[in-house]
Amino acid sequence: MIDTPLIRFADVSKVYHLESGDFTALDHISLDIQDNEFVAIMGPSGSGKSTMMNQLGILDVPTSGELFISGRDVAKITALERTHMRRDTIGYIFQNFYLIPLLSAYENVEYPLILKYKKRDESGKATAMLKAVGFDEAMSAHRPTQLSGGQQQRVAIARALVNDPKILLCDEPTGNLDRKTGFQIMDILCGLHSEGKTVIIVTHDPKIAEYADRIITLEDGRIAA
Amino acid sequence: MKDIFFNLSVRSVRLNFMRSILASIGIVIGVVAISSMGMLGTNMQLQVKDQLSSGADTIVISADAIRMGPTGSSSSSASSATGITKTQLNKIKLAAGTTNKLVPVYSTNTQFTLAATPGRSTVYGLNPDDITKFLTISNGTNIAGINDALVGSTFATNFNLKIGNRIRIGKETDASRPVLRIVGILAPRGMSSDNVNTDNAIIVSDDWYTNQYGGKDIYRQVNVIVKDINTIPDVETAIDEKLNTDKKTPVVRISDASSRLSGITSSLSSITTFILAIGGISLLVAATSIFNVMMMSVNERIQEIGILLSIGTEKGEVRRMFLYEAVILGILGAGIGGIGSLIIGYSVVSYMIGTTKYFFLPASIMYIPMGMAIGLVVCILSGLYPAWKASNMDPIDALRSE
Repeated sequence: MIDTPLIRFADVSKVYHLESGDFTALDHISLDIQDNEFVAIMGPSGSGKSTMMNQLGILDVPTSGELFISGRDVAKITALERTHMRRDTIGYIFQNFYLIPLLSAYENVEYPLILKYKKRDESGKATAMLKAVGFDEAMSAHRPTQLSGGQQQRVAIARALVNDPKILLCDEPTGNLDRKTGFQIMDILCGLHSEGKTVIIVTHDPKIAEYADRIITLEDGRIAA
Repeated sequence: MKDIFFNLSVRSVRLNFMRSILASIGIVIGVVAISSMGMLGTNMQLQVKDQLSSGADTIVISADAIRMGPTGSSSSSASSATGITKTQLNKIKLAAGTTNKLVPVYSTNTQFTLAATPGRSTVYGLNPDDITKFLTISNGTNIAGINDALVGSTFATNFNLKIGNRIRIGKETDASRPVLRIVGILAPRGMSSDNVNTDNAIIVSDDWYTNQYGGKDIYRQVNVIVKDINTIPDVETAIDEKLNTDKKTPVVRISDASSRLSGITSSLSSITTFILAIGGISLLVAATSIFNVMMMSVNERIQEIGILLSIGTEKGEVRRMFLYEAVILGILGAGIGGIGSLIIGYSVVSYMIGTTKYFFLPASIMYIPMGMAIGLVVCILSGLYPAWKASNMDPIDALRSE
C-alpha cells in the first residue's frame, strides 16, 4: 500500500507575469511532506519561501504542476472549497501576528469557530485554547493593541489551533519577538508537533530551524538542499 | 449581538464615529427634504380637495369653449356663442330627470360703489327659489324684491357691510347706476367645485340680472345638483347624449367635482413630484458621501480584510460585514432624518399652508417612513461596490499592504 503524503508538490511552478517580464518564483518543485513532520523552510530573500507558504496556505494556486493537500488537488477545487480548507485544514501563524484589531483576544480565537459552525462558541473551546497558551479570563478580554508581541503570538497560535487543523504553517513566527519569547513560542510549537500536528516553519534563523526534523533550503525557486 | 460580522461593523463605525456621523448627516438632509416636500405637496392637495368637496354633488354644464365667440360678437349665434340656451336647458331638464335639481346661473363681472368706495366683483344672477337649493344664508333673508341682493361672507367683511346697506352698480361714469339693497349675507363656501364662488360676490335675482345686462335665457352655466352622488356618471352620459349629438364638435362641456379635482390634483401632483425630485438630488449627494466613507473604510482595513480572507472567511461574509456598516449609517441617518422630518415638515406645512389638520393623515405622514426607507436603500446601494471590492481582494496582496 502506498503511503499518501499529507502534502505533495508535483513539479509545481509559480510564474508571475510582470511588466518587466515573467518571474519564476517556484521552479519545478517536487516535494512530499508526511503527516506529523516538522519541516523548516530556509533560504535567502527572494528564494521563493513566501510563494511556497502561499501555496501551502492555499492562498494561491500553482501556474503549472499539481499541489495536493490532504489528497486534494488545490487547483481543481472551487474558491469556496479552498476557503473552507484554509479554515479547517490549515492553521496560519504569521510573523506580524495578524490578529483582528477590532476583536478582543477571546473573540480572535473564537472567530474561526464562528466561521466553521456559523454561531458563537458555546463549547468553551476558545477559552480552553487561550488557557493552554497561558491566557486567563481578564487577559482574554484585551484587544490586540493592549497586548505585548509575545502575548499576541500566543493568541495567534490559539486562533490557528482552535479548529484542530492538521497543518500548522508558521511564517517567521519568532521574527518580531525577543529571543526568550521566541524560544517559548518554539517550545509551544514543539509540543504541538509531539501531539501529532504537522508543523511547517519558514525562518531565517538556523537556531530556530534546528527544532525541525527536516530542513528544506530554497534558492532561486528551486530546492537546493 | 450574536453576529460577529455585525459586531465588527458596529465597532468600525464607532472607531470612526465623527466621520460616520458626518456622512449620515447627508442622509438626514435627504430624508428631511424628501419627507417635508412630499408632506407639503400632499397637504396642499388635501386642502384643495377639502375645499372643492362642497360641490361634490353638482354637475356643471357650460357652453363648449371652442364654440364660444367673443362676448357681444355678432358673428356668433346666440345659442352657441355666449352660453346655454333655453332649448338646451330643457334638454338638460329632460336628461337629468325630475329627482335632480337644476340651477341655471347667469354671471358677469361688474364695478360698483359702496358709499364712496369703488370696487369690482362677480355678480351672479339666480332664481331666488334656486338660491336655497345650494347656498346658505347665514344672516338676513333671501331675495324677495327686484332690487334685493345677497353678498358673500368675505365681501361683507371686507366692506364692513350690514343688512340694509346699499350698493351702486356700474362705473361712476355710467349714466344709469342702479342701486341694490343687501338683504342677506351668505355663509362662507371656500373654493367651490361648482364654479359658483360666492364668498367675494354679489348675488341678484335672475330678473334684475337680465334687466341690467340682457341675455335673457342665455345662461353662463347650468348646475345639476344630483340627489344620489353615485348617479353622476349616468346623468352626465344622458346629458351628453342629448346635447352633444355630434361627438366631433360638442356643444356643451360637462364636468363635475371629480374631473375638476383630478385636473387640479394632477397639477399639484406634478409640482409635488418636481419638489420631491429636488429633495432626491440631496440624497444623491448623500449617496456620494456614504460611498466615499465606505471606500475609506475598505481602504483603511485592507490588511484586516486580508487576515479575514486568509484564515477562511468567505467572500459573502466579508461583503456582509461592509453592507452592515452601510446599513448602520443608513439607520443612523434615516432615524435622525425621520425625527427631523416630523419637526421640520410640521413647521413647513404650518407656515406654507396655514393649517396642520391634514399633517397626521396617513397620506401625508407616510412620507416620513417612505423618506426613511429611501434613505436606507440609498445607503445600502452606496455600500454595494465597496463591499464587493473588499470581498474580491486578493488575500496575499491585502496582507502585504501596510
